[in-house]
Amino acid sequence: MPRATITNHIRRLRFDAGEMTQQALAEAVGCTRQTIIVLEQGRYVPSLALAFRIAHTFNRTIEEVFELVEDR
Amino acid sequence: MSVILWAILAIVVVLAILAVTTRHTRTALPPIELPPGETLPTAPLQRLVRWSLALGLLPLIAAASIVASVGPVAYDGDDTLRLLGTMLLITSMAVLVIPMVLGGAWAGRDDGRLDERDRAILTRAPTGQAAAMLVVLAAWIIALQESYRGAPGIPEAYLYLMFWSCLLVSLIVSNASILLAYRRS
Repeated sequence: MPRATITNHIRRLRFDAGEMTQQALAEAVGCTRQTIIVLEQGRYVPSLALAFRIAHTFNRTIEEVFELVEDR
Repeated sequence: MSVILWAILAIVVVLAILAVTTRHTRTALPPIELPPGETLPTAPLQRLVRWSLALGLLPLIAAASIVASVGPVAYDGDDTLRLLGTMLLITSMAVLVIPMVLGGAWAGRDDGRLDERDRAILTRAPTGQAAAMLVVLAAWIIALQESYRGAPGIPEAYLYLMFWSCLLVSLIVSNASILLAYRRS
């Protein structure tokens, strides 16, 4: 099976949501700001539960926030 | 070759194998970019482990200094020294085990101190313990075998030291794994 990477658009969505701070997003979804930072920078892949919470915070579907990129 | 050199050689070989294996199997992650002047915030578990390692190593170093200054056999034969050393080692163990106990309690309480990433890091913390203990045991076995080759027996003081070194190294590695995991993920 080819390897895949999960990317996200959290940083852009925060900007679109009135420049929501990382801390505000962290509090909204129940995680630490450090986790939001590493998530945004593609160093951590969240659980489905956290991914759904983040998507719901921005009123988006999970596919609009996260993207599966197949490595070639 | 001297016993110490054998032990150092064994540890270096094992660590080199571990380093090469880790480098080949680990996926390279992009560096964390932060705005100028800003540092990555630390998680509560990360701070707890840092304090635990800093405070837990002090009594361990003190105990090791006592044993090294008088020698293992003399240390074992002196009740006062042995009691003092054992108290220091127990203190070190108690401090080093705090992150596992308190972290586990935080994880169970779900009061927001730990999130899913912290929990995953805490769960993976004991991964390196077995390997670390094997390295320590290998070093002890090589050193003792070379020191007491042909001798009728090995002083029982070394059993005590082997036990404590394995136990404390496993706890130190467990704590260090948590700090490394925060840097790597």
